[in-house]
Amino acid sequence: MLQAETLQLLCLTSTSGVPLFSRGSAKQLPFSIIGSLNGVHMFGAGHGAQLMSCETDRGSRVVWGVFQESLMLIAVSCGGGPAISELQLSRLLENVWNCMVLVLGQDELANMRNVERLKRELRSCYRLIDLLLERVSDEQGFMGDLTQCADCLLLSNSGLLQEALDSFTQAAESEFGCLLVHGRVAQATEKWWSRLSSQEVVVLSVLVHSLSGASSCDYPVFLPQGSPTVAIRLLSFQLLPGVHVCVLCGPKPSLYKAENELIGRFWSTFVENLRSCLEQAKHSTLPPSVSLRWDIQALLLINRESRRAVTVCPRVRSGAPSEATPLLSSGRRLELLRLFYTFAMTRYFNPQEASVSSALTTSEDFSQGFTHVPVQCYLVTDECKCYGLQSSQHQLFLLMDLSVPTFALRTVATQTLSAITAATGF
Amino acid sequence: MSVPPGSIIVSDWHRFPDSREFFSRILHNKKRRKFGLLEAPMMPPHMNVDIVRYKVFISGKTGVGKSALAARLAGLDFPKMHYETTGIETTVVFWPVRLKESGRVLFFRFELWDCGESAIRRFDHMLPSCKEQVDAILFLFSFTDRGSFDDLSNQITRITESSDRVVKLVVGTKFDLFMHTDVTESDVTHFQEVWGLPIFRVGGDVSAGLGEIAPLLNALAENLWHQDCMAASSVSISTPAALRETDSEIIV
Ligand SMILES: Nc1nc2c(ncn2[C@@H]2O[C@H](COP(=O)(O)OP(=O)(O)O)[C@@H](O)[C@H]2O)c(=O)[nH]1
Ligand SMILES: [Mg+2]
Repeated sequence: MLQAETLQLLCLTSTSGVPLFSRGSAKQLPFSIIGSLNGVHMFGAGHGAQLMSCETDRGSRVVWGVFQESLMLIAVSCGGGPAISELQLSRLLENVWNCMVLVLGQDELANMRNVERLKRELRSCYRLIDLLLERVSDEQGFMGDLTQCADCLLLSNSGLLQEALDSFTQAAESEFGCLLVHGRVAQATEKWWSRLSSQEVVVLSVLVHSLSGASSCDYPVFLPQGSPTVAIRLLSFQLLPGVHVCVLCGPKPSLYKAENELIGRFWSTFVENLRSCLEQAKHSTLPPSVSLRWDIQALLLINRESRRAVTVCPRVRSGAPSEATPLLSSGRRLELLRLFYTFAMTRYFNPQEASVSSALTTSEDFSQGFTHVPVQCYLVTDECKCYGLQSSQHQLFLLMDLSVPTFALRTVATQTLSAITAATGF
Repeated sequence: MSVPPGSIIVSDWHRFPDSREFFSRILHNKKRRKFGLLEAPMMPPHMNVDIVRYKVFISGKTGVGKSALAARLAGLDFPKMHYETTGIETTVVFWPVRLKESGRVLFFRFELWDCGESAIRRFDHMLPSCKEQVDAILFLFSFTDRGSFDDLSNQITRITESSDRVVKLVVGTKFDLFMHTDVTESDVTHFQEVWGLPIFRVGGDVSAGLGEIAPLLNALAENLWHQDCMAASSVSISTPAALRETDSEIIV
């Protein structure tokens, strides 16, 4: 929980700078500093400049974001903790905003008539906001908050579960259904991918994960893009410990009906399939039919069309020669993976997605000079070697052992990509 | 009106050796076992143990400890931080009970319904949904919040109608913080006399084990069973279990 001490999130009204809440760091920033952070932003705005981020030479960072012209969110990370990139902080602000809309709806947030009331209502968002703050340095391999792609689990034999999910969703009078295993999307209906924005899919996954203790739930949610002012219902059911199925629906069916009439009918015959999903999830986010080289330390694979992502961070290295250096801790590998992703995206791959988030400011001059889009890049550090590649459909970010010769990185990366896509159709 | 404890079921049954094989089904590594919706405790088929399902609504104002009580009864990790429950969350709790007269053992499956106050206020369908087919309501107050105690009678009349066939129990939370208690012993006695409803006290460490939650869960079971027996005798069905859908679910 290093992050909790080094990362802080502030929320103020954007016009008058009234503090609404702060989360994160146990030691709150003094009021005068909060005032100054707001002040410099206002000063810029008064002169037609938008202040977005700043950085100290000791690794502290501040990122500002104004949403709906009503609320200002500020993320402050202090040096000394794990490195957090500017991209990550600005994505954090977007995700926090999306969670606030998800819980309260846009009207509530844009409507500033009563600040005290808003302060009270905002408390409802703390659970999700705290979870997002923890995810910044997550050690379980969740990357969706950074990549804005849904964290997925790839199953080997998913046809049956897809059918079960489709018919269950339909019976619940919905077109949006999703099956999650330990917070990762294992299966979803076609509309879940095609009609929800990737940001929505990410915050919905976070919400379901935050409710993982409950047997079932009925949560009113506003979709930040699809339905920001009218609440719809998220019904979620814990079929087995760690396995949740959820649907987005209208006034019907009631939670009681759905649970008592639909769960047993549609899912009881799939208990064994679901158990084997759990079993697989224990070992890897990839099906056992995919075997990775032992010298791969971690990887992130993104499907750019459907905005899905899978993160792999092997717990043990199987088949490694005895003289191989031990694996870095998984926390460290995931941190490096996040940093490499940010590095590759902001410097080379420069996708529209990243520029929309308006996160990329200072380091951009370099890539602007290019007339073409780089499709591969690599980086050698004293801890590992990294390779990134992108095609029209995929992006792969790979962390490898130092023992892999640099000239072989590209071959390993392309082979890894085709091994995974061939086996899973991802 | 509630049933005197121990009149229908064996009270403190978890302390008796003959209960061990039943309680062991809801435990795992000395902690409570977690059950998915597709699961239930497994007993050898020849023992013929029925599962009876009940819906229980937890009512009370923000921060009294509704979510904490649900977690406590299910043996889940306790919410250290107070987070608003911004919708309905349900928690399933299995609890074995031995009927006094017949010696028959039943697994009660309580589904606890918990909904944050602000969600009830902001969304019209929340309260009706919690009350749909409800069998029992737990009314909560906190020993550290006088207001929540004073509001009890209001709460009871607001949420239930006299015609409702529901078991009502009152639970006082945060009893462990007795240093700060705002509600005295005589307040409690007086309330019980006026309303004829028992008050249960909870608070403190969850690791206290089954003994801490047994009185409340046993009282729930006993009163619900009694309620079903009364209903069954009025429509002359021999056993209330016949009224309840039992084992459509998978056994672990
Ligand atoms: N000491 C103590 N704290 C409790 C007890 N029950 C709840 N709390 C704390 O009170 C706060 C509010 O509890 P919660 O269950 O979230 O309230 P709810 O709004 O009614 O769901 C949390 O910080 C809990 O940890 C209790 O019995 N003893
Ligand atoms: Mg609650």
